[in-house]
Amino acid sequence: MIRRSPEQRRDDVQRILDAARSVVERRAGLVSAFVESTGLHREGVEHALLHCLETSATERELDRLVATAGDAPHVHVILSANVFVAALRAIALARAAARRVTVRPSSRDPVFAEHLVRAIADPAIEIVPDALPRMDEGEIHVYGRDETIARVRASAPPGVVVRGHGAGMGVACISSGDIARAADNLADDVVPFDQRGCLSPRVAFVVGELIRARDFAEKMHASLAARQRTIPRGELSDVERAEARRYADTLSFSGVLHEGEGHKVGVASHLVVPPSGRHVHVVPVATMDALVASLALLERSIVAIGASDTTQLPSGLPPRARVSGLGVMQRPPLDGPVDQRSS
Amino acid sequence: MGAREESQALHLRARAFVRAFEEGRASPEPYDALASDLVRFQARYVAGYKNLVAARGLDPASISRAAQAPAVPTDAFKVARVSAFPEEETPITFRTSGTTVGRRGQHPFRDASTYDAAAIAFARSTLLRGWPERVHVLVVGPSAADLPDSSLCHMNDAFVGVFGLPGDGDVFFLRDGVLDLAALDETVARILVTGDAPVLLLATALACVHLLDVVGDAGFRLPTGSRVMQTGGFKGTSREVEPSVLRRDLARALCIPEDDIIGEYGMTELSSQFYEARGGGTYLEPPWARIVPVDPVTLEPVEEGAAGIARIEDLMNVDSAFAVLAADRVRRVPGGFELLGRMPGAPPRGCSLTVDEILGR
Repeated sequence: MIRRSPEQRRDDVQRILDAARSVVERRAGLVSAFVESTGLHREGVEHALLHCLETSATERELDRLVATAGDAPHVHVILSANVFVAALRAIALARAAARRVTVRPSSRDPVFAEHLVRAIADPAIEIVPDALPRMDEGEIHVYGRDETIARVRASAPPGVVVRGHGAGMGVACISSGDIARAADNLADDVVPFDQRGCLSPRVAFVVGELIRARDFAEKMHASLAARQRTIPRGELSDVERAEARRYADTLSFSGVLHEGEGHKVGVASHLVVPPSGRHVHVVPVATMDALVASLALLERSIVAIGASDTTQLPSGLPPRARVSGLGVMQRPPLDGPVDQRSS
Repeated sequence: MGAREESQALHLRARAFVRAFEEGRASPEPYDALASDLVRFQARYVAGYKNLVAARGLDPASISRAAQAPAVPTDAFKVARVSAFPEEETPITFRTSGTTVGRRGQHPFRDASTYDAAAIAFARSTLLRGWPERVHVLVVGPSAADLPDSSLCHMNDAFVGVFGLPGDGDVFFLRDGVLDLAALDETVARILVTGDAPVLLLATALACVHLLDVVGDAGFRLPTGSRVMQTGGFKGTSREVEPSVLRRDLARALCIPEDDIIGEYGMTELSSQFYEARGGGTYLEPPWARIVPVDPVTLEPVEEGAAGIARIEDLMNVDSAFAVLAADRVRRVPGGFELLGRMPGAPPRGCSLTVDEILGR
């Protein structure tokens, strides 16, 4: 078998980005289907398509993506439902690695992936109905819950490598600077996909006293309330609503809770991880050392760290987390998997 | 009257429920009356509960029914002190299993006399129903001396002390993290020879699995009429066995009917326990505790027979939380309730986890 050159692989990925742009351009006719499929509000879908979907990448980013993608004769991609535009990066990574790509969209949220694959119009990429098609070699890239990944690993044929991208979350670190601005920027990271993505921040560590954390929480509450007016939250699942209720009661008991129409912000001296659905838990950390210690508790779960000032971040942070400023946590460069914990 | 005196008065009223039950009398006062006074007391002296009641827009003075009491999520026990008395007056703290799921819940007690009275009274009427005052009580688990912060170990110790036969010697068969099957075998053999009383074997579900692993196909016969109290779950551990399979295998290995394996439902955050009725599946409540399946979002009771999240009311939780919101799914059935597993997304729970940790699996 003749191996494709890096340039060929990059061209194949570029074709996927072009297709994504065409989907965005045709979005007026597609948004309703995306709304129904994702459960997001119409504005949430628009926002994700316009601000989170990777429709372009620099040469350097593409080079890096191709370099990290590996090489396999066939990659089968199993998509999850949480972040509908994540299909693009998943398919791009698979295509960079393989001559043949099969895609099993989430049964709950198949629409975007189907439209994207149709728009790519690459005979090497096809949608398949089977969660696990017959394959003797190659890789399975599975996105979803840890239990799903474990199930796929258990049933994958011998000789097939399974790469799992499981549950995770983002955290925010608020050090010096204008906390109102930090809260506003963080709201931009919380809102996309109603916080269901593995980059979505759920906990904000505020360096300083409890009173500063409380101040930040109030501003976070105001910022999320403002976003609710422009990008209303979509429907939450029963499980999400139940977990949110439990978080609210736990925080009412043990801290301070701010509840808005489409969000909850809790602040307490102890760490609680809230569920997805636009809920942020704010916790003070006295020093940068305390911040590092707190992040270490969550290390296995942290996919992304957003910081009010990235230059002030201490060493010793979870090494594989993506680090960015606030407000851009949901827009990592297209240079490899979003979740780099397993890479 | 100060907080301590109020607490003592409430403890006396709570224990009066237990005494009446033991003596076969009606409860000394309406359940709602004591529940309402507990809620008012806790809203005054348990800081977090005061906040929770306020967040619901409730005036504690207006509460006249147990159902009006906001329930404290079990998560709150992990992150806050749920207690009407200060740290310095806390000789006993029970803690939930730790494992990998995060912080351990804590339930402080000023003394365990109300807890013990309730546990012993209800166990006597369920676990020991129809039996003599004292039987052979054997524990496949550590003693309270080994795990002083485990409410299950505390309860097992109390059962050994009150229900056990004094001549049985050391009846705890998990030592230094190792299941001492030889010692258990020797003790059971001695009991079989004397043939004078049945055995009550206390074990977590996970300990039962380990016991079955060690016993293998050989079997491990208990005296005729023996019973097993089994508690705890598996989720999040290395082993997970379907409850019906475990029950069947355990009954076969121990040579007892499946009906004599009695499930216990309890948790660190409570002071009362619930036991499976003979025939399995339905759990019974003592007159001082209730299980109310509620909608997980509205927290309102669900329709009779529908599944909901367990809101557990416990009149024995005098100094902590009268109403606790667990993460277990339950359903009311005639005579009691059924356990339906954990709420989706909830972290695993269970005393079994402690045994799993100890056994290093």
